[in-house]
Amino acid sequence: MDKILQEIADEAYEVARLRRNGVQPTRDRVFAEVLAELEANGDAMRFVNSKGRIAWKATPRLRDYLKDLELEAEEDLEDEF
Amino acid sequence: MHNGEATTIPLSTEAMRANLLRLEREWEMVQESRDRDAIYGYLTAVFELVVCWAKEGKAVRRACRALYLRRHNSEREPEPFAALILCTADRGKLDDRMSSKWSRVLRYAAEFKDLDEPLRDFIKRKGGINKCASRFARRLGRGRQRRDCSPHSTR
Repeated sequence: MDKILQEIADEAYEVARLRRNGVQPTRDRVFAEVLAELEANGDAMRFVNSKGRIAWKATPRLRDYLKDLELEAEEDLEDEF
Repeated sequence: MHNGEATTIPLSTEAMRANLLRLEREWEMVQESRDRDAIYGYLTAVFELVVCWAKEGKAVRRACRALYLRRHNSEREPEPFAALILCTADRGKLDDRMSSKWSRVLRYAAEFKDLDEPLRDFIKRKGGINKCASRFARRLGRGRQRRDCSPHSTR
């Protein structure tokens, strides 16, 4: 899993863990749910990595979106100073 | 799973639609670009998706689903690369010959490309799209079958 998706999945796992109702969610289960949702939204895609295994990465769309957010944040920061 | 082991995450209809949409966007980018290498972006996206489906052992079944979602009838078992190209490239701008050629190129790459070599580099190293298509015919396609069946064949 690439860095972007790893961060999203880690965050989702922490949220799930904090709001558990007596049931401890497994990390893999939360990750699977998050990846399925991201894929359905067009934000994650599966691929075969260089070791020949199925892995996941952010789609170009999600990368572009995050890049735009980053640029906006940098511009806002520059405006403030 | 998160370390890259085989996934058991099912491909929902929404996920299938999102994948097709992503390939359609890649195709649009090719159309908008003046860069003659832009086509490799689209071919790479198609290639990666089918290779992944094949790894999960579901390439043909998912190709059927894609065709169904895009309302294409398929009486025969579809060839996954050709099916995805049919589903995502604009038919007005792509004829059957071109689509078939790209499908042959991708099947050739699926057979002979190293996992860590970018598709574009592989195709260029092998002489380009047309060369790869004819290499496929020679090594894996009907050309090979004809030779194998000929009375002079040593096989």
